[in-house]
Amino acid sequence: MSAILWKDTKKNMRDLIKHTPAYYAVEAEFSEVPKEGYVTTDQKYFTYYLKISAVEEYKEQESIFLKRKTGLKSVLKIESAREVDPISLGEFKKGSKRVKEFEDFMTADRVQAKMEEKSAYAEALAPEVKQVMEDARGLGYELPVSVATELASKRGGIKKNVYDKVLGEIDRDIQVKSIDPYEAVGIIAAQSIGEPGTQMTMRTFHFAGVREMNVTLGLPRLIEIVDARRIPSTPSMTVYLNKDIEEDEEAVLKVVKELENTTIIDVADIITDVAEMVLTIKPDQARMRERLVLPSDLAQALEKMKGITVIKGETEDNVIVKPQQESFKKLYQVQEQLKELTIKGITGIKRAIARKQNDGKWIIYTQGSNLKDVLQLDEIDSTRTYTNDIIEIANVLGIEAGRNAIFRESANTLAEQGLIVDQRHLMLVSDMMTFSGTVRAVGRQGISGRKSSVLARAAFEITTKHLLRAGLLGEIDPLTGVAENIIVGQPITLGTGAINLIYKGNSK
Amino acid sequence: MTGGISKRINRIQFALLSPEEIRKMSQVKVITADTYDDDGYPIERGLMDLHLGVIEPGLKCATCGGKVDECPGHFGHIELAMPVVHVGFIKEIKTFLDATCKSCGRIKLTDDEIASYRKKFDAMSLSSSDPEIIGLMSKKVTDEASQRMVCPHCGVQQVKVILDKPTTFREEGIKVTPKEIRERLERIPDDDLIFFGLNKEVARPEWMVLTVLLVPPINVRPSITLETGERSEDDLTHKLVDIIRISQRLRESRDNGSPQLIIEDLWDLLQFHVTTYFDNQTAGIPPARHRSGRALKTLVQRLKGKEGRFRSNLSGKRVNFSARTVISPEPFLSINEVGVPEKAARELTVPLTVNIFNLESVRNFVKNGPAPRDEFGKYLPGVNYIIRPDGRRIRVSAQNAEENSKRVEVGWVVERQLMEGDIVLFNRQPSLHRMSMMAHTVRILPGQTFRFNLAVCTPYNADFDGDEMNLHIVQKEEARAEARIIMKVQEQIMSPRFGGPIIGGIHDHITSLFLLTHENPLFTEEQMIHIMSYVNPEKTPVAVVKNGKRYYHGRDIFSAVLPDGLNLKFTSKLCASSKAKCEYESDPADKEVVIVNGKMIHGTIDETAIGPFSGIIIDKIFRKYGPAEAAKFIDRMTRLAVGFISQRGFSTGIKDYDIPENAVSRIKEISDEATVRINKLIETYREGMLQPAPGRSVEETLEIEILSVTGGARDESGKVASAYLGLTNPSVIMARSGARAKMLNISEVAGMVGQQSVRGGRLNRGYYGRTLPHFKVDDIGGKARGFVKSSYKSGLDPLEYFLHSIGGREGLVDTAVRTSRSGYMQRRLINAFEDLKVDETRSVQDTIGTVIQFKYGEDGVDPTRSERGETVDLDYLIFDAEQEVQ
Repeated sequence: MSAILWKDTKKNMRDLIKHTPAYYAVEAEFSEVPKEGYVTTDQKYFTYYLKISAVEEYKEQESIFLKRKTGLKSVLKIESAREVDPISLGEFKKGSKRVKEFEDFMTADRVQAKMEEKSAYAEALAPEVKQVMEDARGLGYELPVSVATELASKRGGIKKNVYDKVLGEIDRDIQVKSIDPYEAVGIIAAQSIGEPGTQMTMRTFHFAGVREMNVTLGLPRLIEIVDARRIPSTPSMTVYLNKDIEEDEEAVLKVVKELENTTIIDVADIITDVAEMVLTIKPDQARMRERLVLPSDLAQALEKMKGITVIKGETEDNVIVKPQQESFKKLYQVQEQLKELTIKGITGIKRAIARKQNDGKWIIYTQGSNLKDVLQLDEIDSTRTYTNDIIEIANVLGIEAGRNAIFRESANTLAEQGLIVDQRHLMLVSDMMTFSGTVRAVGRQGISGRKSSVLARAAFEITTKHLLRAGLLGEIDPLTGVAENIIVGQPITLGTGAINLIYKGNSK
Repeated sequence: MTGGISKRINRIQFALLSPEEIRKMSQVKVITADTYDDDGYPIERGLMDLHLGVIEPGLKCATCGGKVDECPGHFGHIELAMPVVHVGFIKEIKTFLDATCKSCGRIKLTDDEIASYRKKFDAMSLSSSDPEIIGLMSKKVTDEASQRMVCPHCGVQQVKVILDKPTTFREEGIKVTPKEIRERLERIPDDDLIFFGLNKEVARPEWMVLTVLLVPPINVRPSITLETGERSEDDLTHKLVDIIRISQRLRESRDNGSPQLIIEDLWDLLQFHVTTYFDNQTAGIPPARHRSGRALKTLVQRLKGKEGRFRSNLSGKRVNFSARTVISPEPFLSINEVGVPEKAARELTVPLTVNIFNLESVRNFVKNGPAPRDEFGKYLPGVNYIIRPDGRRIRVSAQNAEENSKRVEVGWVVERQLMEGDIVLFNRQPSLHRMSMMAHTVRILPGQTFRFNLAVCTPYNADFDGDEMNLHIVQKEEARAEARIIMKVQEQIMSPRFGGPIIGGIHDHITSLFLLTHENPLFTEEQMIHIMSYVNPEKTPVAVVKNGKRYYHGRDIFSAVLPDGLNLKFTSKLCASSKAKCEYESDPADKEVVIVNGKMIHGTIDETAIGPFSGIIIDKIFRKYGPAEAAKFIDRMTRLAVGFISQRGFSTGIKDYDIPENAVSRIKEISDEATVRINKLIETYREGMLQPAPGRSVEETLEIEILSVTGGARDESGKVASAYLGLTNPSVIMARSGARAKMLNISEVAGMVGQQSVRGGRLNRGYYGRTLPHFKVDDIGGKARGFVKSSYKSGLDPLEYFLHSIGGREGLVDTAVRTSRSGYMQRRLINAFEDLKVDETRSVQDTIGTVIQFKYGEDGVDPTRSERGETVDLDYLIFDAEQEVQ
């Protein structure tokens, strides 16, 4: 079912919402009756959803909403209208192609991510695994699925009596291994990650698979992860392609071209002529070729820019740009704008490099990251495409994805240095950083700054601020944590300090 | 938190002090700016008034009558002539002035707004909610109120108040005096305070403008007497003197009706002194200085930072009953033991509370006096002090020992010197993980150093190049029990970081056992007995008879330290890389180490078997037989290793790196080839023919290419060299067994040192366009950029040597930077995670009960006990079960 998209002002839409059902006059003509409409106010995100029940020809009448004053052609009967969470343009498809550019009264389909409910875990198991779990249950044991799966794969060479014994041993083993209550798991996790830090390299750059690419690794990267920096020092994406073009070099290179963000300054020099109040763009042929930019691309990009007049230069390639207002300030502004003007590609992707894997499939590595926009490309496999920017993942894919990103990035950083750290510690760190729903840094801005104890906060950093603030609020320190109890000289409430064991003596 | 500990602070509430409260808690109103009179006696109503506490022996506190160490000190107060603002609350005062009406004092919100906001604020309690959220909410409300220029309550036109940092407020350019500010703040009704994040129960806004200043007790600011007899006052006292002096002058000037200008100047000066009394690093005013020019350390400076009260004295404390000295190795100690020098043992004591059961034995200790020895001159524990139930300490000397032993009764405490078997804590800084502090049992040894088994070096990260370590004597029975059960070295064999052993054989242990088991050599009975004499084994190896003589296999000797019933199969480090057949083993079966029922059948013992981090045998013994058995194995294994290597002998020298003439010339060829290829690359580059790699500039591409050429050259020369250095070479044995060094280091010695680098690239800094003046400008050839063709053995030429030092320096700098950076990261991590704990249901919670994980680590398994992270080790369980069923 197709929907129509158009642009209107916020004020118009607000009025409309108040008065639905209503009639609404627009300047377009419709061949078929659309059922839905989406309205944008900024041409990028659609924030209003309308239900349309009928289309009539426009005649002047009262109590009708007008999109504009003249040139009206048809009247839509709006059943209901409401504000919705912003829907980006990329979520609409025209035919099989994703919509790239907005045009007024465009007919398109909204595509939504398919949601599939995962079939129940137990049912999805292989019969052998189920059998193993059944066997264990028969002997009175309950096996975790992962262990049962492993055992099922090794079942072949094991004799029956050994097998039964092994089942019993596994059960006993898991019992013995479970963690002790009141264990200070946080401190253990912090030590387990901090201690190998001293053994890590400081060298910031390293080659990860592709030697042209620099990626921050080692201790600086680990610090960056726990700091939850907004932007990592070397943002980078690993873009996987759809199965059908994965091995097609030509198609892959086309995607690379689509990804790579090229601005005018990348391929041309800009010369400011103050006397004539014009800017001359001199394309550099070599750089144009390297970046696969045609002069027509350049012209197209300039067309989109507002507030300038484009004049063809005396030599064939040169383009002269004149600001419409004649002022030095404007000239300077235009120059700055021109430098950053995107000719093609995705903002933030400075460079993209395609690499052929051993299995003949291509992967694209990028310098710079823009997950949201890259995911909207048709050619890429959005299920595998990845970025090392944790905050970006959390923003685009949600906090659970962010949690997994922290885990994966930290695990990879440690593994790359050849350090073995149990994944449970990394999980705890990732969970602690994300349990509140946003990614919080380890440090005074994040977790430590939000502790419930005044004394613990004062002992960490910015001592006086916390003490003064506490006085105003009349804050109560419940003395439940570690730092505050050490400060007042009491046993801490973890481990053996968490329980009180009192000898009552014989009651005589 | 009830019960258990008889007294426990349940909670602490913070509040502001009101002037009334300050006067109430004050013992004396200080009016004299002087401290002591000419006789050195405290001046009455001065800053050192006897009511404020005593610091001099002999004097008694005028308030509580206590002597030094008994009197906790008491507060006094200063009545300021004019009010001044408190620097710490400047921002808050500004918000108050902005958001309330200057005439009626109400918050500038309409009644409707007040009602709707009040609902939101009432929903949470100020004293226990997240201060951050309260801050954000009140900021929103006060910002809105500040915008309004007409008071909705009384309709008075408002004037913008500007803060002239740090402490002056101006209204349309005219200064608003603290007195006026205070008057305005007084007008604000209690009910409006909540919108400013102020708890009306504990604070009033006008208290942020001071009229009375609290004078801290003398104990907080003791004066010190220098050797010259001169008295030197504390920084705080200096500051208080200034405040009183100015306050008095201000009062006089005001009362005599001095010109307004003079009064204002004095008032500003008073404000300056009070400001710097609180915080001497306030932005915008010069710090108050001591006569010597040193900036004074006032209240904020005392609390703040690493050397501040919080981090230095409250979060960390100095302790008694501790010792520190240099450490040295002692292979004949168990891993659970620590050797303590007699001298230290005589000073360190364990308190024994006398009861009816130990009365006799304790009296015996006392009778022995402070330095007893047995008939052979061996150390016996004595007693330094006995403590009577009233707390008096009596020094025990050789003379009064006999007499004192009779006086000891039930209820007394006797401080007995350290004796063998006492449990102590042993620690090496930096304490990066919990294995940095472990419990040991004491062995009293002659000498001056602490000694311990070499296997324990790894968890402490200690070596013996002058390292010092700390020893703490545990003073309470509960603590001793915890130390013994939780902290003992054998309990810490498994690292919580990766679920494997962190204690294991090192260096010579690995070399030795490698030599003992590789190719399973035969030993004569005498040799076997010599080796075994180090071990004290439970089993003896089985002999094989050859030519009528009894011989013993190396693996059988090793088996003597393995516990019965141990079944194990794994690949040794030696054969880890080889897939089908192991090039180093003559018998294909030796590719895997096989141990059945505590008897080693195949393979070679090396790092993988007994080393720290990897030690599979230690790992499995710990899991199957427990910590005590694992400790026993490590003790015996290290002793066996020491026994064997001292019997066999092991050494390496420069001759071990000799390689034949043709190999040397082959290496020369390789390095020449590399030079030629580098030059060719440079030539191509200079001609502009070098194709840049995608995404790289031509220069970068050239560097990458050259680096790969030099890297290849070093690898190749290493290969050539090591082809002549087989497993008979001691260095190769050490490298292959994992004892020390890598093959790379050997090829550096025998083959070629290779390319030196800084920041992952070739050396390029120094003189203009070159690294040293010996090269031509813009020479980017191999040698000029740090390609070292020589080997360590042949020696580096002067230029190579210099360039090599450049590369070496980077490593040193790197280490220095790294320790500080990772130290800070760890501090932040610990601080953020210290409060987390697992509860009975294995879920992870923080202090206020927020669930962080529903099941710890998703499976509830302790990483310490996990199989290197895995829940169970199925292969081992199956192998073990198979062996046991047979």
